[in-house]
Amino acid sequence: MATQVHDDPGARALRADRRAELMLGALVLGVLGFVLLLIVFVFREAWPSFANNGLLWFANGDDFDREIEEIFMSANLLQEPVYDFRAWPILWSTIVITTLSVVISFIAALFVSVFVVEFAPEWMRRILEPVIRLLASVPSVILGLLGVLILVPFIGEQLITDDQRREVSYVVSLSGYSLLAGVLILSLMIAPLMIAVFVDGLRSVPRGWLEGALGLGVNRWRTFWKIGVRTARPALVAGTVLATARAIGESIMLAMVCGGVGFAPNPADGLIFFLEPAKPIPAAILQASEELTSPPMRDTIFAMASILLFSSLVLSLAGWAVKQPMKKYGVRS
Amino acid sequence: MGFLSPPPVRKLPLAGEDTARVVEPNGNGASSFVSSGRRAVASTSLAVDRMQVEELSIAYGSKLAVDSVSLPIRQGEVLALIGPSGCGKTTLLRSLNRLTELTKTASLKGRITLDGDDTATFEPTSLRRRVTMVFQQPNPFPMSVFDNVAFVLREQASRRPRKRELKGAVEDALRRAGLWDEVKHDLAHPALRLSGGQQQRLCIARALAANPEVLLLDEPCSALDPQSTQVIEDLIVQLREEVAVVIVTHNLQQAYRIADYVAFMYLGELVEYGPAEQVFGAPKQERTREYVSGAFG
Ligand SMILES: Nc1ncnc2c1ncn2[C@@H]1O[C@H](COP(=O)(O)OP(=O)(O)OP(=O)(O)O)[C@@H](O)[C@H]1O
Ligand SMILES: [Mg+2]
Repeated sequence: MATQVHDDPGARALRADRRAELMLGALVLGVLGFVLLLIVFVFREAWPSFANNGLLWFANGDDFDREIEEIFMSANLLQEPVYDFRAWPILWSTIVITTLSVVISFIAALFVSVFVVEFAPEWMRRILEPVIRLLASVPSVILGLLGVLILVPFIGEQLITDDQRREVSYVVSLSGYSLLAGVLILSLMIAPLMIAVFVDGLRSVPRGWLEGALGLGVNRWRTFWKIGVRTARPALVAGTVLATARAIGESIMLAMVCGGVGFAPNPADGLIFFLEPAKPIPAAILQASEELTSPPMRDTIFAMASILLFSSLVLSLAGWAVKQPMKKYGVRS
Repeated sequence: MGFLSPPPVRKLPLAGEDTARVVEPNGNGASSFVSSGRRAVASTSLAVDRMQVEELSIAYGSKLAVDSVSLPIRQGEVLALIGPSGCGKTTLLRSLNRLTELTKTASLKGRITLDGDDTATFEPTSLRRRVTMVFQQPNPFPMSVFDNVAFVLREQASRRPRKRELKGAVEDALRRAGLWDEVKHDLAHPALRLSGGQQQRLCIARALAANPEVLLLDEPCSALDPQSTQVIEDLIVQLREEVAVVIVTHNLQQAYRIADYVAFMYLGELVEYGPAEQVFGAPKQERTREYVSGAFG
């Protein structure tokens, strides 16, 4: 029979391999190209806003919501478009809300996942794990509704005193829609995500390493802390990056419970700080998105969006950089 | 049960005494290596009972892995556990410092004592500090060579010792395990990038650093070349003065070279327990005879 070289099964498999390689490579290039285009597009649209404000774009202004209003209106009048914009209140709100909720949920998630993997009895683990996965997938608008219906009234009626209302009444009114509500619900939202990733990471720590430490007479808690958690650090980083990305990008829930007032909560107010309203970037974009028809507004919205895009790029890079030194002693050499 | 008969305290022969008194192969199939290579006992020692295994049975689920085994473990003598694969040697060894508890399906019956106290009454951590295990698969931690050995020292210290203070102890442990010369230039080397045999010796060094009273070795030489094996065997022989040593090995010559007592297990049962010369030279049980001779043709 014609035993030509091409028809020999080995060569055919080789050609199939090459084809798969080429297709995957093309796919990767396509995705990279798309991301690049996205970045270029967003930053180009955002440019007029940055160019007109310079570094003052990042500064604090008098009244964020009035600035937005004026930018929007300027398109409808026969005049030069207005670009005056001071983003500090929304930048600050994003920084505070994201940092606080990531820190809170990281600590909670670490303890819960260590407990689930190593200390919880079997029956409890069987219940906890599906519940956590379910929580991780609850749509944020539902959590926002619960926040508006339960948490916000609770904060407004039980936590805020009249004295506190009076103390800051010259700048902002306290209603219960607050930083605190946002941070609490956001933590509840991202903690399950972290727990799910942490649990997978902790579970894949080789038994032999843990038994090795136990067999040397190191107690269970220390063993899990020094060997388990240490080995699972890349998973901890990955879970934190994922959760932080979700926290930075969360719009609808935060728009619902934080008050939607362009105000930078002031740490100098002491505990009242947490009760003050806030407006993080995604919520600001969401609220302004009906006004895309106004060209200066549109540019301003893209400027806000470019900040979000930039922070998610930085976040991925930071996650990658943090993981590098961990690889040195790890399994993947 | 003949093996319970040796008295708890037994005087080992004095240096220079003819300890390598080899029992002549008695012609009915006993192994052929008994006439060569038995080490000479270097010094005197009193053998002291440290641990006692009494009617111990261990099951995984409904599957019996160790079936009512009783034997003493003495300081001053090396005990070797031999037997075909899957006969329960590792299981027995793990039960000695209650590592079997980590396997959810494992259940245990019988009693194990350490210096007369039931190990079940110990706090597991304090038991495992005294009875330390080296595993069949090398399992160095994902850290540097130095940190691997220092880990247990740091955990045992009441306050965190400085690196400088640990150096001596780490070097000593690595030297005793015969690894020092290979790693002394780069103690920061990742332990997981050592060779299999080096990892095995690192695990032994780690266990030595813990300074145990009973040392459990599960096939410590399975990945070692003859030279490193020699180092470990010398170490074991020298250790038995201060530490009770139990070693599992598939290498019968090795068991013969270093063990004072040998326990032969088969399908979870302890078939024969006795002095090495007797088990290898004049086994009482037919199954033992088959195993020690069959393995060497
Ligand atoms: N975790 C476990 N779960 C269930 N059964 C187990 C487990 N570990 C061991 N066994 C069973 O118990 C028996 C004894 O196993 P063990 O590991 O003690 O054998 P071994 O003598 O150490 O063998 P080897 O020489 O191959 O290491 C085997 O039949 C094995 O299948
Ligand atoms: Mg074994």
